[in-house]
Order: sequence, then structure tokens, then C-alpha cells
Amino acid sequence: MQKYFRKLFVPAVAFTMAGLLFSCGKKADEGNKIKVGIVLPLTGKLAKFGEIEKKSFLMAVDEINAAGGVKGKKIDLIIEDTTGKPDVGRSAIEKLITQDKVVIVGGGYSSSVTWATIAVAQKQRVPFLVNTGSADKITEQGWEYIFRLNPPVSEYPSALASFLKTVAKDVKRVAILHENSLFGQSGSKKFEKQCKKLGLNVILKEGYESGAVDFKPLLVKVKSKNPDMIYMISYVMDASLLMRQSKELNLNPKLFVGGAAGFTLPEFQKNAGDATEYVFSATLWTPSVPYAGAKEYYDKFMKKYNSPTEYHGAEAYAAMYVIADALKRAKALTPKDVRDSLAATNLKTVFGPVKFISYGKKTQQNKLPTFLVQWQKGKLETVWPKEVSTKPYQYPTPSWNKRK
Amino acid sequence: MDVFLQTLVAGILKGGLYSLIGIGMSLIMGVMGIINLAHGQLMMVAMYITFALHHFLGIDPYISLFIAMPALFLLGALIQKYTLNPLLEVESILPENQVLMTVGIGMVLTEIARFIFSSDYKSVKTSYSNATFFIGEISFSIALVIAFFIAVGFTLLMFWFLLKTDIGRSIRATAQDKDAALLMGVNSKRITTITFGLGSALVAAAGTLLIPIYYLFPDIGGPFTRKAFVITILGGLGSTVGAIFGGVTLGLAESFGATYIGMAYDDMIGLIIFILVLLFLPGGFKRLTKV
Repeated sequence: MQKYFRKLFVPAVAFTMAGLLFSCGKKADEGNKIKVGIVLPLTGKLAKFGEIEKKSFLMAVDEINAAGGVKGKKIDLIIEDTTGKPDVGRSAIEKLITQDKVVIVGGGYSSSVTWATIAVAQKQRVPFLVNTGSADKITEQGWEYIFRLNPPVSEYPSALASFLKTVAKDVKRVAILHENSLFGQSGSKKFEKQCKKLGLNVILKEGYESGAVDFKPLLVKVKSKNPDMIYMISYVMDASLLMRQSKELNLNPKLFVGGAAGFTLPEFQKNAGDATEYVFSATLWTPSVPYAGAKEYYDKFMKKYNSPTEYHGAEAYAAMYVIADALKRAKALTPKDVRDSLAATNLKTVFGPVKFISYGKKTQQNKLPTFLVQWQKGKLETVWPKEVSTKPYQYPTPSWNKRK
Repeated sequence: MDVFLQTLVAGILKGGLYSLIGIGMSLIMGVMGIINLAHGQLMMVAMYITFALHHFLGIDPYISLFIAMPALFLLGALIQKYTLNPLLEVESILPENQVLMTVGIGMVLTEIARFIFSSDYKSVKTSYSNATFFIGEISFSIALVIAFFIAVGFTLLMFWFLLKTDIGRSIRATAQDKDAALLMGVNSKRITTITFGLGSALVAAAGTLLIPIYYLFPDIGGPFTRKAFVITILGGLGSTVGAIFGGVTLGLAESFGATYIGMAYDDMIGLIIFILVLLFLPGGFKRLTKV
């Protein structure tokens, strides 16, 4: 027995000593770091976009740290996985705030998860800069610790509204299809209201469960109502199935419009192929937007990771710079002071100018214009507003069997 | 009327694929009395095999059937032999050790897929992915029609195999009464290994047939495991015919639900039927037939 004890005792002591030494070393190092927490879905259905955002965050933080960091300290990103589920997201942000003691939290992909996490941040009084979750109510609570970089989902189609007013005047009957989570529900409700304002007749509004194999029953129903425009709020793979199956059913409205999200991503074109042709989409960002650094960001990302990036990445990249800027201007590195300096942000980023203002019911919301893009010959071209367009728009959409 | 017919067609075609997914799970459940909660994940593995063959070697998914199915048979048999069978011999507090093991295996498979292929969405585009033909106003997706007939073919083959061959009879014997089968000289370990392999191969076929019209990412397994589970319960444990009925019923229920109630309730409709069957027809459709 004693022999065993000694055998175990020596390594155990050695281990503990090493552990102590190691933790001391870590502590000394920590004084030189500013901890910033990020919550993103890194596994699960939304992992792909979490991945793009993570890469963009890391790229931005590397650049910032290489340039000397903030106040002589390096920024230490602690990225937690939400798995795309609200309950996991909650515990992730609680861990960041109570254990890691971060001074600010960023990220927040998908509205449902973001909605669950911001409540924690507000309660613990740690600022949270949301950069993707886009349900309107996120910034409609009057919570002073919650900021949002990206426009809310209801504003995604503002460029579309002006397009409908000036070009597609003969569109009268609208069908709205949306994925059935907070993001799609919130977006479709606001769009329905907007349609009423524009004098359009919403003849059908239907939700669907994301990840469905077969959209034909839904699309047949749409076809039987014969709409002029089909507006879809979908994540990317639902988006490509919707278009592929519209083609299969020979469904021919004058306009196919995607409400951002899935319809602008490279995967959409890769998976749906020529079924994407002539499809319009509202978007927040493309590499061709008129903001300094946008194209450079795209090229840098491409070079570093050898895969294309899209608006989620741009949001994350811009958010990191906004966070760094707020930390730089903060009087002290406490959540309260960082919150105050974040509120006074006035920064030009690759995602557009950032300034947190209050309007309507919203507070601390950044206001940005949106764009209308269209797939032409397998490329995503910016077509509206005209001032920033890369190609003229193609309207109306030719019917499937008249295409070559 | 067109709307009705199109919905019917969509439901039946999808139901064919669902049957194929369900049969594998039903077999495993019947013989071993456990739910294989890695079923969808095994399908995911087959889909990645098909994807890789198409992407790197340009092999058509229908030809990949002959590679993906044996590969998954092997994988399934190995899983049974080296991870599930040993658990039978271990005394434990939980009798459901094997079920827990399948959950773990499912997770491991998902993470391996993520490690190799990343979380990106993949798809296999073929010339027939979007091809359709019309009968009247009703559109038929060619890929789905082919998938349907292959699925029916495999189901019939399976049926014949279970009824007419020696191994098939042994499988049925084990499913009906394990102890009696053992006494009659059936090597039950070998039979469970073969059954798990067969179940995996069948779901591999479903995955390979599905990929031209669907897409692929590492977490795709979960929802299909759930569907297979519903189908198995609908059909009755261990019943091939039951699984066919279960698959088509689920396909039709989802389609008609989508058209006439709302697509947002897709999953709910399937699960409500699931609950109703459990309440009013425990044992599933198997009770109504005799096979």
C-alpha cells in the first residue's frame, strides 16, 4: 500500500507544483490583456456562419494586436460556442461574464440566441455589441447595455421598397415565405406592414420549418395564387432548395426576392446553380459597397483562409474594430466605462459608418442603408440604388421555360 | 385539383425515401430491441462518401450506391461487433447502455465529418438534380422518381431476403424470440452484426439517393434519426411492411400538412401522428397486417 502511495505521491506533488507555477505565469500575463468575450454558433446547423464570423473576428484582432493593441495591452478574444441554441447561449455568456470577467461581449448570431443572451448582459451590466442577430425587438427594450451594429431585419428591404416604387410599379400581388424562427417571423411581419404602406396586396404569407426536404407543397400553393412577387426570408440551404424547386414547378412571378440572409451567399449559387439567375436580394453588404476597406477586407480574407467571405464576416470584422475603438476611448477598462465610450462611437468601418442612435422604438441602434443585388450569369451584382450599381437590373424575370 | 394531386405526388415520392430510411432502423430495433440513435448520422456518413466520390472522382451518385452501401455495411457491422456487442456482457445499472452508446457514436461521427469536411454546406449537382417531367400540370422531379423506384426495389429485395434466405430467416427468428433462436443454433452475435450492417447499408442507400436533391452538412443526421424513429414506431418495430407504410404515411402527412395546414407545422404533424399511434395503435401498422 505504502509503495503505491509513494508512487502516486511524487508525481502528484510534481503536478501540483507545475500547475501552481503555470497558473502564476498566466496571471502575470493577464495584466497585459483585455478580455473580450464573443458568443457564436461554432457547432450545429448554423456553424458555417459562426465559422466565418470567428475567422473575421480573429483576423481583425490579429491586425489590432499587431498594431500595438489597445492602451499598450493586447486584446484577448474568448470565443464561446452557443451551438445555435438559446439555452446554451445563455450559459455561454454567463460563463464569459462571471468566470472570465470580460469587459465587453460581441458576436450574437441568430435572433433567437441573441435574444436570450442580451438579457444576461443587461442584467449583469456588461455591454454587448450585437453584430448579426436582427430581430427588431433586440434594440427595442431600451436596455442601455445592448448595442447593435447591423440594421434590424425590418430595414433589410428598404432598398427594395424604392425599387418597387420606381421600377417594378406593376407588382401588385405579393407572396411572403419565411423560415419559422424569430428571424423569419419578425422579418415577414414587418415586410407585410411595409407592403401595405406601398399599396401592395399580400395574398399569402406562410412559414416553414428550416431544413425541410421538399418545399413543393408550399410552392404549389403559391403557384395557384399566381403572385407578381415572391419574397422569401430564408437561411441559405432552404433558399437554394426553394429556388431549385420553383424551377421544377415552373413557378413564374415577375420578381423573386430574397430578404438578405441566405440569398446572397456563395453557397446559394453553388447549390442552386442556374436556378439563382435573376433572383434579387436585399443585402447589407457586398464587397462592392462604397465603404473604404470593404474590398480590401474581402481580398485579405480570401488570401488568408482561401474561401470567400460575405456580410456576416464583414459584420464581425467591423464589430471587432468598433470594440477596439471603444476600449481605446474608455476612461477605465470597466464594463461601465466601456459602455459609455461605446455609446459615443463614431467610426468608419468596412460595414459602413457606425454610430449608435435612437429612432422610433429603437435605442443604441446603428442605421445603415441597404442594397439590392441580383444574380446575373452566376455573379452577384449590385443593381440598386443606381448610384452604386455594378450592372443594370434585369426586370421582369423571364419565365423558366423561356430561358435558354 | 392540381394542388391536391401535386401534393399527393410529392408526399408519395418523399414517402418512398422515408421508407428506406425507416426500414434500416426498424430491422435493428426488431432484432436487437434497441433504438439506433446514430441512424441519421450513418446516413450522413454515406452522403459524405457519395459527395467525396462525386467531388474528387466525378462518380455519379447512382454508381456510388455500390460503394457507399458496402462501406456502410462494414462500418455498421464493425460498430455492432466492437462497440455494441461487448456491452451486452457488462452488468450495469442502465439496461439501455447500447442506446447510449449509439448516441455517442452519432456524436463522434458528426464531429469526424466536421473535422474532415468542415461545417460548410455541400451538395452534389448532377444533370438530373433539377430535371423534371410533367404529366398534365403535375411536375415530377426525375431524381425523386428514380430514388422512389430504387427505394421500392431495395424494399422488395429486403423483403425477399428476409423471407427466403437462411440469414433472413435467422434474422426473423432472432427478432421473434432471441432465446429460442439461440436454442435452435442461430449464432445471435453474428446475426446482430449482420443486421446492423444491413440497416446501415439501407440508410446509406437512402442518403445516396437523397443527396442529388438535397444538401449536406455534418449535423444533418439528427433530424433524420428523428424521422426514422417516427417511421419505425408508426410501422411497428421490426416490420418491413410496417416501415413502408410508416414512411409513406409520414411523407403524405407532411405534404398534406404543408399544403392545407401550413408548412411551419411540418415536424409537428409528424409527431402528432406519432403520439396518436402510440396511444391508439401501440405496435404500429404491424398490428393490422400479419407479416
